Amino acid sequence: MKILLDHIIPTPLKDRFSQNGSAIWNTSVQFTQGEYIKIKAPSGTGKTTLVHILYQIRHDYEGKIVLDDRPATAITGDALALLRQKQVSIIFQDLRLFPQLTARENIELKRVMQQPFYESSVIHEMAAELGIEKILDQEAGLCSYGEQQRIAIIRSLMQPFEWLIMDEPFSHLDIENTKKAAALIARECRKRDAGFIITDLDEDSHFTYSRQLHL
Amino acid sequence: MHGLNVLLKKIIRSGTGCSRYMMAMTGLSFAIILMLTAVQLQADYRDLLYSKNNRDSVANFLVINKTITDQNLGAAGLTESEIKDLQNQAYVESVGLLTPSRFKASIQSASDRFPFYTDIAFESVPKEFIDITAKDWTWNENAMFIPIIAPNMFLDFYNFQFSFSQNLPQLTQQVVKMIVFKVNVYGPKGMVTFNGRVVGFSDRISSLLVPEEFMNWGNTVFGKKQDLKPSRVIIKTRDAGNPQLTAYLKGKNLSTDADKTRFSKYRRVVDIVVSISGVTGIILFSFALLVFTLFIQLTVASSREDIRLLITLGTSPSQLRGFLFLRFLPGTLVIILLSFCMVGIIQFLLYTQLTNQGIFLSRLPDITTVLAALLIAGVIWMVTGFSIKKCMKEPLELRGHR
Repeated sequence: MKILLDHIIPTPLKDRFSQNGSAIWNTSVQFTQGEYIKIKAPSGTGKTTLVHILYQIRHDYEGKIVLDDRPATAITGDALALLRQKQVSIIFQDLRLFPQLTARENIELKRVMQQPFYESSVIHEMAAELGIEKILDQEAGLCSYGEQQRIAIIRSLMQPFEWLIMDEPFSHLDIENTKKAAALIARECRKRDAGFIITDLDEDSHFTYSRQLHL
Repeated sequence: MHGLNVLLKKIIRSGTGCSRYMMAMTGLSFAIILMLTAVQLQADYRDLLYSKNNRDSVANFLVINKTITDQNLGAAGLTESEIKDLQNQAYVESVGLLTPSRFKASIQSASDRFPFYTDIAFESVPKEFIDITAKDWTWNENAMFIPIIAPNMFLDFYNFQFSFSQNLPQLTQQVVKMIVFKVNVYGPKGMVTFNGRVVGFSDRISSLLVPEEFMNWGNTVFGKKQDLKPSRVIIKTRDAGNPQLTAYLKGKNLSTDADKTRFSKYRRVVDIVVSISGVTGIILFSFALLVFTLFIQLTVASSREDIRLLITLGTSPSQLRGFLFLRFLPGTLVIILLSFCMVGIIQFLLYTQLTNQGIFLSRLPDITTVLAALLIAGVIWMVTGFSIKKCMKEPLELRGHR
């Protein structure tokens, strides 16, 4: 799936970005499936806003987004759900887990939301890979932030996708765990011929990026 | 989908607790039982009135005449328009004229061994209004005898009063039917004697009936006056207890055997009881449905944030609606089924109780009760669907915001 951002300006940040030489805002930019896109920007410049606009949970912007040949605004209801189940997966900066469910149930939810992409045993394999297999049956609300971040990462990899959108996905992980998580993400993207869009504050070498854009 | 629903059940909890749900369900049960009972009672009543088992041949035929008052003495005949009007009433199936004999007649015994003599008058009605089928029920000028149908109460009167006072033997119907007696008819040219024989006994019409052929012939040959208005008619009705019929007769100053229409009073009482039960059921049902929909709304409202997150993560609105539907509908279907079974049990108890008293009801609930239960299920299905759709709207509309 191709993603075209055509002169997007978030309404709340309109005044600030119109003067700026951003590679995303108020310009035309296209992402082709399979690309590894890094979007770098300091705090408060709209990384999360961009992620939410791309994932269509914010609509307060000017310009338009086209997914393949469909305007994003035309995709609503069940069609939008289908897009989120099969084509676009996400890791939120604020993680958005159900605190009352266990770690396993949070991950399982995304596995069974559509025709399962993986057997349930894969949950344990991935959890072991990221070192959280012991907390799988613990309520997510009782897990540490770093553990929750890894739960959110595994959850996003339970479904089929063409694009994985990540909003500062390693912000609470140490270097070792970040490496493990990045390796897992890269492997899963390759398996699906998928691309990703990742936002972060700084330069990094977690992935071999196709493009690095400044917001 | 099953796995998803298990997780959704954990996420979307009934945040309002069990008590409200139980309250809604209890109210719903009572309401459904009341409504189904009302429908079943109505069906039972219809069954009592119209089914072959219970059909009381007496009650369905009514002899009607004008109420004699000081004003209409000697002119209590029914006009053609009055008869026509009666015929036009929906509850009157057919009307037959009772023709009185317009000649003087008497009967007397043929032998001196059992002497009797009495003046008498006859009536005739069309054949279809007679409740006995006597193969001899016809007459022509060459006939051996005149067939006569006598009211049962005549024989009762004889057997239980007259025979005692006159020291005469009691008679069975069979014996009476064997007795041939003389029928004397007095005309302008003198008396003519025929043979007569009772061929049957009737409960329907309280007069001595002769075949129409004889009556017409007799009235022509011996009759004193011609073209008299009929003074009595017999009607066939599906329901002698119909309150409308009773009201009509009263309004037109007509009277009939009150014993046969007394049922109309009970009918009105049953109608009122059934109506009260039905209306109470409907009101209770409406309130119970309201509480039920409120419960759905409260559940959705209390899980609003979770529902939003589910949608954000990619759960489709139709998946959520399907889940909520499955969550709420089976309970109500069980309630309907239980209520229906309860009505079935009541019906069976009624059946056993009333059968002992010679009143035959169906032992199973009527088809209309089944249809009513299905209708209620349909209404609940629609209200549940509508309610879920409506209360899901808000979390869906807010999906665009954080």
